[in-house]
Amino acid sequence: MTQNIPAVANGATQINNAEFVKITIYNEYPYTNANALANTSTYIIKTSGNTNWTSVGASSNAVGTYFTANTANGNATGNGTAANVSVLTFSSSYKAETISGNIYDPLGGLLAVGSQTRNLRATSGETTLALSGIDGNNIYNVLATNIRGSEVEILRGFYNNNMILSNTYPRFRGIITSYGISEEREGTEDNFTVSVGASSYKTVLENRIAGRKTNKESWRYFDSNDSSMDQVYAISGVTFDFGQTPKAGTVVPGGGGFPSPGGGGGGRPGFDPGDVYQP
Amino acid sequence: MPAGLQDIVNRASAMTIDRRKVVGVQITRNEIPRTSLTPTRQPWRFTLTMPNSLRYYNSRDILEALDTIDRYTPQTISFSNNSCLSWIFRYQGAMTAGQISALTVTSFIGNQLILSGLPTVGAGVILFEPNDLIQIGSHTYPFTSTTQILRGSGGTVTVTTNRPNIITGSVVGDGLTVGNGCTFNMFCPNMPTYKLIPGGYVADGASTLNNALIEFSDDFELYEWVGTA
Repeated sequence: MTQNIPAVANGATQINNAEFVKITIYNEYPYTNANALANTSTYIIKTSGNTNWTSVGASSNAVGTYFTANTANGNATGNGTAANVSVLTFSSSYKAETISGNIYDPLGGLLAVGSQTRNLRATSGETTLALSGIDGNNIYNVLATNIRGSEVEILRGFYNNNMILSNTYPRFRGIITSYGISEEREGTEDNFTVSVGASSYKTVLENRIAGRKTNKESWRYFDSNDSSMDQVYAISGVTFDFGQTPKAGTVVPGGGGFPSPGGGGGGRPGFDPGDVYQP
Repeated sequence: MPAGLQDIVNRASAMTIDRRKVVGVQITRNEIPRTSLTPTRQPWRFTLTMPNSLRYYNSRDILEALDTIDRYTPQTISFSNNSCLSWIFRYQGAMTAGQISALTVTSFIGNQLILSGLPTVGAGVILFEPNDLIQIGSHTYPFTSTTQILRGSGGTVTVTTNRPNIITGSVVGDGLTVGNGCTFNMFCPNMPTYKLIPGGYVADGASTLNNALIEFSDDFELYEWVGTA
């Protein structure tokens, strides 16, 4: 008996889709304080703080909200911060489409999106974007932006049979790690292509070194009252002899004292010099 | 109508029309076909074959026009300016010119074109036949009706067009042009070069001058200019 794979046998007979790319270029670091926003510039809220971001054009005060600053009636106040960003949105579709308030310019076949690794579990992956047909005069725009480190988000949009965009689904989120500009001249035809490579967030996290060291300073960096690691220096270099039952009358040495009569290693830590253990 | 591409259309000995979609086709291992369609503007593409009978001495203005527009300047092409071409995109429906001019666009979303201002005729009267050209307002991007459209009894009819609405900006309230009255905004990305083959003479007063036949290096592949739709 043969049986078709359901996903193959019962899928749609025709799929109409296009790729929608959003690149967020961070123009500054550190971020701008809430009281120093530039009018009509685009920002993304990084720390909400006690700032009322909706008073300067944001749709909400949530971190990650994009907005165009409107400071005509005065700047914001409070201790929040926002990053000045440039948002580029474009698609391989035939016509401009609006998704979540962003208008995606149609580039059609001039935009090529590379393959992406898909797995059930979170997978490290990289992908590429290529923009062709760029005029040579516009190349400096690419060189002048801080495109490396920019966030890239790729959506796939599906059109229904009436060519109306019905659904979009996230396909890739990551950070641009490299870019390249190539020029092809064949005969009298000149074509510039800008290619960017992007790594998924999982790859970024894998390469990230973060955390705390087990010493007093590192521990108290986050909590000045945390004394958990205060004794680290005192016990540094002491050989521990775990697993043995302390013996009656044992005198624990301190600071390089005499060896334990129980043998098997050095002195027993955990007591002050001169302490006598009595079970 | 400017000289150049229109002259080529008028003189071509054959024309290929291509407005197919960008489609990926895959046959699965158990031989079930799957297709994937990329939404594009589906530009019109005309491939025009020129006979090698154009005489140089009488066609220097055409050559100059072709060299001037080169491969990047779009021009408007019409198929209504002579009887040798007007039959190609002839309107096949039953509306009169006055009834056509009364039609207006109510909406055009995706490939669903809704028209109002319909004529007062019987419900079975054919407004559009398949392959009838429809042009909206002054936008030189012809669409075709994919099905036969009858008048019906409602205040509007819905025409399913061959391609989605590629026009940026509102088209609500715009009028229509149909059939061979529609024009195409085309450019020639491959713009063939030409070779002069000496032969023949042309009269110049009492004397004669040498003439030549023009041989183009390739067919003219006209491509609809949809970059600024």
